[in-house]
Amino acid sequence: MLVFTRRRHEAIMIGDGVEVRVLRVGKDGVRLGIVAPPEVRVHRREIYEQIRDANQSAVVSSDQLAQVAERLTKAK
Amino acid sequence: MSPAPAPAQTEITVSEAVTFPDGIPGFETCRRWVVLAAEEATPLRRLHAVDGAEASFLTIDPRAVLDGYRCDLSAADRRRLGASDDEALLWLAIVMMDPSGALTVNLRAPIVINPRTMTGQQVLPHNCLYPLRHVLMDAE
Repeated sequence: MLVFTRRRHEAIMIGDGVEVRVLRVGKDGVRLGIVAPPEVRVHRREIYEQIRDANQSAVVSSDQLAQVAERLTKAK
Repeated sequence: MSPAPAPAQTEITVSEAVTFPDGIPGFETCRRWVVLAAEEATPLRRLHAVDGAEASFLTIDPRAVLDGYRCDLSAADRRRLGASDDEALLWLAIVMMDPSGALTVNLRAPIVINPRTMTGQQVLPHNCLYPLRHVLMDAE
């Protein structure tokens, strides 16, 4: 892992288009500003992980699928 | 709660494979997906990966789950989908089954497909008040 020391308003560049800038340093956290090209998606890691885990728990077999579809249809 | 009648957007149909340039979180290798009718049960649809890992989701129109469901796409999201401001988009929320048997639906991170460009992505909104696991039906 690359490790940098940055002060307020200082930044690092990743590749040609991604800039990560320190906006504020507080007692409990650091506020960062990210500039990235539109094709680069930027997310809080924990949000990404939550969605990934939800997706992985959602994969359904054909049997399950038919079962779930039936339950939902019956309830209408 | 039971799904409400399907709103007009379920008339949008996608018959060819849709390209997801980044895949879907957890299924990054799956770049091409098809949207199939799930049994006879509209507004349910099946989202099925045609390459990469084997994956199949049951999805539902989020507006059929929650009346007035609204999720704003960022400018970057629109650009990735090649969507204009008034583009008709297909919204799909992934249905999950808890170990308890309860059915929940992911309203926080919907799948959005632009049928014109045949491009899709799972939107991870930064500020979304909808739950990740909205209960659709309790355990049997």
